[in-house]
Amino acid sequence: MSARAAIVEARGLAKVYPMPAGPVEALREVSLTVEPGDYVAISGPSGCGKSTLLHLLGCVDTPTSGSLLFEGRPVLALREEERSRIRLRRIGFVFQRFYLLPMLTAWENVELVQSEAGLPAAERRARTRELLTYVGLADRAGHRPSQLSGGEMQRVAIARALANRPGLVLADEPTGELDEETGEQIADLFDRVNADGTALVVVTHNLALAGRARRRLAMRSGRLAEPAAVAAT
Amino acid sequence: MSVRLLVLFLALGLGAPARAAAGAASGSEAPEILVSRGLLRECGLSPGDVVMLSADPHGADARLFRVAGVYEPVPDPARFTAKRLEARMHLPDLLALTADPGEAAAADAVGAINIALKDPADAPAFARELAARAPAMSVVPAAAADDEHFVIIERFHLAISVVTMIGSTAFLLALMVIRADERREVAGLLRLLGLRRRRILAQALLEGLAIASAGAVFGVLFAAATQGAVNAFFQWRYDTTLVFVRVTPAIAARCVALALPLGVMAGLMASWTLLRRPVLDLLRR
Ligand SMILES: Nc1ncnc2c1ncn2[C@@H]1O[C@H](COP(=O)(O)OP(=O)(O)OP(=O)(O)O)[C@@H](O)[C@H]1O
Ligand SMILES: [Mg+2]
Repeated sequence: MSARAAIVEARGLAKVYPMPAGPVEALREVSLTVEPGDYVAISGPSGCGKSTLLHLLGCVDTPTSGSLLFEGRPVLALREEERSRIRLRRIGFVFQRFYLLPMLTAWENVELVQSEAGLPAAERRARTRELLTYVGLADRAGHRPSQLSGGEMQRVAIARALANRPGLVLADEPTGELDEETGEQIADLFDRVNADGTALVVVTHNLALAGRARRRLAMRSGRLAEPAAVAAT
Repeated sequence: MSVRLLVLFLALGLGAPARAAAGAASGSEAPEILVSRGLLRECGLSPGDVVMLSADPHGADARLFRVAGVYEPVPDPARFTAKRLEARMHLPDLLALTADPGEAAAADAVGAINIALKDPADAPAFARELAARAPAMSVVPAAAADDEHFVIIERFHLAISVVTMIGSTAFLLALMVIRADERREVAGLLRLLGLRRRRILAQALLEGLAIASAGAVFGVLFAAATQGAVNAFFQWRYDTTLVFVRVTPAIAARCVALALPLGVMAGLMASWTLLRRPVLDLLRR
């Protein structure tokens, strides 16, 4: 495997949800390659399959058909435990609703995934301090999510996503619950994360955020449009 | 046995004429008896009183006795609802009272003797040996009769506790499932972030253990704190010194030994219902 191998390589992904009223085709024939250091934004109307795609790329869910390689490994052939390991060490997740653990402090939220990955305590402390400083929340380390604003919670979530030095960060509507100015701070933070070498795939309706990405993709009815078509929209 | 019979007749013998007779000079030389607390109260007696006792329901051959004192009968769990109207007297007085005047030998006859052994556990061996030496005698360990009652009571308690355990286990499991479901999203998030199911189960196990320990300790402390009140109530209700509830270290240990595995199992089962579902199912609202 060469050092420049793609982080994710999706070929002809389809996802069908069998429903009583008939199957729902959430994704049809989606192909996408994310290279190290990429910054991809995906936009599209509600229900077009953006979150579904993100879950497949993040090894959270499995496609009905198609193939998916994560850093060269065939995800579909892996057991749940192995996919869980990839999620822990190689992928960072950022969500619209932040999804911090409410009973843990900002510090503990960032430290938890490192301890699960087996990092020694001293390294964990150093990394957690570094990350909270990186997102500008060093002074809020002991606060629980309920004591933080939306923007602050999202910054903690980004710090957590970066904790195990992943190759890829997936973000689903990361500014969906934030005001414009706070959204912009998050966009700035993503710029820095990407500049530091982490590949980013961001699903967003926020045009300002999407505008920061190097590649902008549009999605409609479960299909990814060609970049050329995006330029036209 | 005969003492108990006497007591029944005692009431008859204590009519007004009997009391009048008790006032006679002969009262001061009357042999002494002890009466049970219940009898003392029931008949309005007090120490020093002279009473007439008879072995006959009609009061024939009654004799005078002086009440020397009162005693608390040893409580009997098999008959704690019965009034203990009893008296104790010296053996010669009892023989004199119950002997058939027509049969001279009767006064020298002994029907039964109770023997107290230093170690009650020796009773069966002692009984066997004595029976072998004196084949005409019937030798029976006295505790045997009581044991039968206790076997029945113990089985009854076991049945109650089994039903209670099954009921409370179902309740506990339902609680844990509800609790686990409240934390569906947290469990989903932990798994999405890549935490192993084993680690999440271990956490649930620790939590179940902590809750079960706290519950068991609370239960034992509660029982220990309330046993006094329960005993006081029933001792008052049945006028007995019988101890109804006693939380012994063995019982407390058994409670904890049962509660801990049950709590852990309930916690694990409840968590497992969450962990075997797909990650996204847990996060979806
Ligand atoms: N578990 C499921 N069962 C059945 N249908 C589902 C399931 N999850 C998603 N879908 C359907 O798949 C389609 C795509 O859903 P998805 O959540 O990916 O949309 P989206 O583009 O993220 O929308 P939004 O912008 O509103 O978040 C929708 O039609 C949705 O109803
Ligand atoms: Mg979505």
